[in-house]
Amino acid sequence: MRPFSSIPGLSIRSKLLFVALALLLIPWMGYEYVRDMKGFLLRGQENALNLTARAIATVLHDKPELFDPETGAPEVIGSTDDIFAYPLPNYIRLDGDLSDWGDQLEQATVVDGSVNQLCGPDYEPWSLRYTQVVGYRGPYLYAGLDVEDDRIVIRDPTLRRLNHSDHIRFYLQNPGGRIDRYLLTGREPGRMSVYLMDEDWEYPLTGEPNYDLSAEWRMKPGGYLVEIRIPRFLMGSQARLGFVVADVDDEDARQVEKKLSSSPRDLEQNAPLNQLFIHSPEIAKILRGLDRPVTRIWVLDRMQRVRAVVGNLASETTEPASPPRGIFGYVIRGYQAVLQEVYNLILETPSDGFVDVASDVSSRDEETFRRALNGIPQTQRRRSLDEGTEILMAAHPIWSGDQALGVVIVEQSTDEVLSEQRRVLENVVAVTLLVLIIITGALLMFASRITIRIRRLRNSAEQAIGPDGRVRDTNIAAESRSSDEIGDLSRSMSGMLGRLTQYTRYLEGLPDTLAHELNNPLNVVNSSLDNLQAEIPETRDSKYMARAKNGTVRLGSILRNLTEAANLEEALRTEVQEDFDLVELASSYVEGYQQSNPRHKFELEVHNSPLRIRGTPDLIAQMLDKLADNALDFSRAETSIVVRLDKVNGHAHLSILNEGSELPDTMTDRLFDPMVSVGKKNAKQSRLGLGLYVVRLIAEYHDGHVLAQNRTDTTGAEFTVILPLAA
Amino acid sequence: MTRHIAIVEDDADQRENFADALKANGYSVTTYANRPEAQVGMRHNLPDLAVLDIMLEDEVDGGFDLCRDLRALAPKLPIIFLTARDTDIDRVSGLRLDAWDYLTKPVNLQFLSVRVSSLFRIVDTLHTQTTELEAILRLGALQLDPNSMSVAWNGKEVNLTLTEFWLVQALARRPGHVKTYENLMQVTRQSYVERNTINGYVRRIRKKFKEVDPDFSMIQTVFGVGYRWQPE
Repeated sequence: MRPFSSIPGLSIRSKLLFVALALLLIPWMGYEYVRDMKGFLLRGQENALNLTARAIATVLHDKPELFDPETGAPEVIGSTDDIFAYPLPNYIRLDGDLSDWGDQLEQATVVDGSVNQLCGPDYEPWSLRYTQVVGYRGPYLYAGLDVEDDRIVIRDPTLRRLNHSDHIRFYLQNPGGRIDRYLLTGREPGRMSVYLMDEDWEYPLTGEPNYDLSAEWRMKPGGYLVEIRIPRFLMGSQARLGFVVADVDDEDARQVEKKLSSSPRDLEQNAPLNQLFIHSPEIAKILRGLDRPVTRIWVLDRMQRVRAVVGNLASETTEPASPPRGIFGYVIRGYQAVLQEVYNLILETPSDGFVDVASDVSSRDEETFRRALNGIPQTQRRRSLDEGTEILMAAHPIWSGDQALGVVIVEQSTDEVLSEQRRVLENVVAVTLLVLIIITGALLMFASRITIRIRRLRNSAEQAIGPDGRVRDTNIAAESRSSDEIGDLSRSMSGMLGRLTQYTRYLEGLPDTLAHELNNPLNVVNSSLDNLQAEIPETRDSKYMARAKNGTVRLGSILRNLTEAANLEEALRTEVQEDFDLVELASSYVEGYQQSNPRHKFELEVHNSPLRIRGTPDLIAQMLDKLADNALDFSRAETSIVVRLDKVNGHAHLSILNEGSELPDTMTDRLFDPMVSVGKKNAKQSRLGLGLYVVRLIAEYHDGHVLAQNRTDTTGAEFTVILPLAA
Repeated sequence: MTRHIAIVEDDADQRENFADALKANGYSVTTYANRPEAQVGMRHNLPDLAVLDIMLEDEVDGGFDLCRDLRALAPKLPIIFLTARDTDIDRVSGLRLDAWDYLTKPVNLQFLSVRVSSLFRIVDTLHTQTTELEAILRLGALQLDPNSMSVAWNGKEVNLTLTEFWLVQALARRPGHVKTYENLMQVTRQSYVERNTINGYVRRIRKKFKEVDPDFSMIQTVFGVGYRWQPE
């Protein structure tokens, strides 16, 4: 029931602090709450992603042109390998003059040795490079190549091998999915000859040139220009093609020295061809409108080919708020640094950056993709490719009529949720810690205050009763005005002390009252005996009369003793004090006392003289009387009684030492209380225990005190009165 | 002519014992049990001497009040106080009631008679001055007349009670000679006297002398033994 009371040595303060530890439940609660919230947020994010996927899919419904293999928008597809065909504003005359391409020339890409590895290590950009641009108009695709070549070697018709001069190699995936290789060459500027080639690009497959594809070239200073027209029926649904510019510089050797390719990979080693996209501004607009921060949207067609990718998963890093300055700032920064360590221990850290390159989604999400294509919206969580973070994705089919044309996949990193979770938890922890510190501080202060108050009360209570057990002050001032329980305690202690004092007073007054009450009957006996003696003279000599008288005398003496202390207390109030020499008084006293008690030897030892004290000599003498009587009572016969005078620490020490029985240990503190007496009862002498009480009263009247102890040199007791010296 | 003594004492046994003893010594005695009774009775029948208990029934100071009344009626009436407590004596002197003597209980009836007769003798001396006189003691500034129980210091009267007078007389009779406590106890002619009782008497005597002469220091304490009168 009282869990702490049994733990020894725990102060109120420690106990309260212990209780304050319960406040640590708050951050735990917050942690649990935030964990729940994380799940909730993630579900919410999933739902949102689902909705986004559906919304995007809805936008893309019934837009089959989006899924034409060759349409797309460079901004959203964004691979360097891709070749874009732009709509051409004019009719293109196939003459090697690119001026009729209009604005589309601005879309031209430069190809030089820096984008592919087909050239030797001694490649110099000025020796060979070209600019390529692709456009479409009507059923034709057009390609324009502006080749810069320091030495142009044209075809020698006598040679059967075709790769002996500067030529263009053109790869095209035909509708059958196979790759056709066309070589474009010419004996003179103007019309170029086009041959379908073998895999080694050495000999044409047939002796006849190909007339489906037409090309024209024209020389220019430092190079030549080529215009190619490709009918779209030659191209398969995958819309893949590629260019290679082959350069021959030595007219005697006629070997291909350098090649520049539109693809960074070697097309001759069966690398995939460049993807051709027909640039569609409408789709670009739609997809660009879908762009959302920290979200990546994929549009895939039935074949799992990426039709469009928009957005980026990585979030922009926000600038941290500038830390507060000044001393307060240091405190806050320190506090935050400590908190960061705590958070890192208990929380997932959102990644600053991660790699999840958007090259190929289908390999990772085969199942999801297939189900989505079958018309079931999907959500999934996966790790990012570098395992740095978790990525949420939602897939939704795109319908055209009853047929699923493709799938929209929306991806989002969970970083945002994580950082949100962290932010909330940071707040919870920060606030809780602050509250904990404040509450703990407040509790500490509160406990300290209570402890201080209780200590003050305790000190006050200890002060109220002296070491001798007498009540010094019935009124405990500490906390007496407080209205709470401690005040109550203080007041009830005061009340208790008051009652105790009354009782003590009653006890102290008891002997006096008793004596007074007994005096009258004693007087009756006494006076009756007197009268009896007068009336019957024979009784005067009766031994019984003598004994009766003796009895009344003893009784009277007892009553005198009883009243002595009370009388003394009364008398002390009127005494006049004077300065006198304690040594002088004690020596004359010892001298006189020796005369009246010849059976004991009184020795006076003076270690310091004079000892001037302020007080009443008569009272000191009375005190000596009592001490001497006490010493005589407990002395063995024929032993000496020593009266020793000394000065210790500015106080006069008056000691009376006797040889005889020792003081009982348990009594030493109470010896000087009224009605306490030691030793066996003696029929002759009354032992009311008031003598030492009188000694104490007189010592205290002189601002001194009295000690009783056993002698160390021999058996016996030693009583020492310590009195302050006169100023 | 028989002397008339009034006894005021609330304890019937003591009262009757006192009365019997005094009657046996030839005095006529009237007894009263409480203050109102005594007040009325003594007003009609004024005694020659009054013995008053201080505490009368419920009145703690009944004896003192009676004393004041009697003083108003007869300023020279000898009054003896009976007290149960030593401290009452201090109160008597503190109240300056001009008591002629006071006794602490238990009272030895012989001593009581001695006192009574002493007081009557003094009264007679004051009134008639014809009987044979004891010699007046002169010692320096002290003049002590045993007949009238009067003491003067430097010519100024010191108002002592009978017991105090006896003590001064005992000390001054042999200056320089130590009177032990035992000697002095007998001088007081009381039943039970302790050293403190003597100390109390001497303290009061010194006080009374100091009232007429603040430098009075003729009574010396011999600690543990007694007192002596300082020789010239």
